[in-house]
Amino acid sequence: MAQVITITSGKGGVGKTTTTANLATSLAMQGQRVVAIDADIGLRNLDVVMGLENRIVYDLVDVVEGRCRTRQALIKDKRFPDNLFLLPAAQTRDKDAVTPDDMIALCNELRREFDFILIDSPAGIEGGFKNAIAPADHILIVTTPEMSAVRDADRIVGLVEAYEKSNPKLIINRIKARMVARGDMMDTPDVVEILAIDLVGIVPDDESIVISTNRGEVAVLDRDSMAGKAYNNIANRLLGHDIPFLVLDEKQGLWAQLVNMFRTRR
Amino acid sequence: MGFLDNLFGRKQPTSSSVAKERLLTVLVHDRVHLSPHDMDEMKREIIAVIERYVEVTNPEAIEVTLTRGEATDHLKADIPLGRSRQQ
Repeated sequence: MAQVITITSGKGGVGKTTTTANLATSLAMQGQRVVAIDADIGLRNLDVVMGLENRIVYDLVDVVEGRCRTRQALIKDKRFPDNLFLLPAAQTRDKDAVTPDDMIALCNELRREFDFILIDSPAGIEGGFKNAIAPADHILIVTTPEMSAVRDADRIVGLVEAYEKSNPKLIINRIKARMVARGDMMDTPDVVEILAIDLVGIVPDDESIVISTNRGEVAVLDRDSMAGKAYNNIANRLLGHDIPFLVLDEKQGLWAQLVNMFRTRR
Repeated sequence: MGFLDNLFGRKQPTSSSVAKERLLTVLVHDRVHLSPHDMDEMKREIIAVIERYVEVTNPEAIEVTLTRGEATDHLKADIPLGRSRQQ
């Protein structure tokens, strides 16, 4: 029986889709049977991030409205043809085409065949978000260490409680170690203290994410990517392994400290 | 950058600590659904009540703040009182 994990954030652009694609791929690399569902109807993107955009025939709304069988809408990831699938969002419809009950029914059908169902939530707190969290067993909240993203994440923590989903876990994305070191970006303990939920992963800001996405690949397949390593660690934690958090501090020499200090002095 | 800051006497708080402070305040207001306007209104009323019983030396110095605790948020009022020697 699959676990349903919803990846959400409140604020847009903090890395929900990238997180979903990387976690799904990483879990599949470990032999888990995984389906990633793009719940962002009208603004579909998980297909592009996973490099599967050319193979879409049916979508989530087709399944819900009975125009195809669920199995027909699942797109096989060519890298893991036996155990990684995408259920794409519809691009031409809006969020109201699907209800929370539809999502629960769909996930119940998929649970039998998979180990993990990952749902990429749309930004915001309206219908699309409600659809995405309705079937969730676990919720991952993605934020960056910026004020607006953390504030929105706090709102999501409150809503998750209001919808009687327990114990959401936090992923802090796009941490810039050099800015943290010079006191210009909130550090992991600050964000964890503010949101007061359990941390499940920290991901460094990493150019390799942009490059992988450009190519339709995902960072977890790139051995040299620090962000990829961070996502692999999160996937391992989801599998119940006890993995220490990455150390993201960039050691700063005396010269770098001096340069930074004069740069940031006002 | 600890010791270098001390050496050159940089005293300004870092932008990340400013962000954290501002966020904590914003979030408490978000969570208790109390706007800054309502907060001012409440502060005015609190002062009016206190003044019925004791002498408030400087209403300007009264601080009413919302702060975050472990499990609950707190409304704190710091009210300096006049210290009259006459009975």
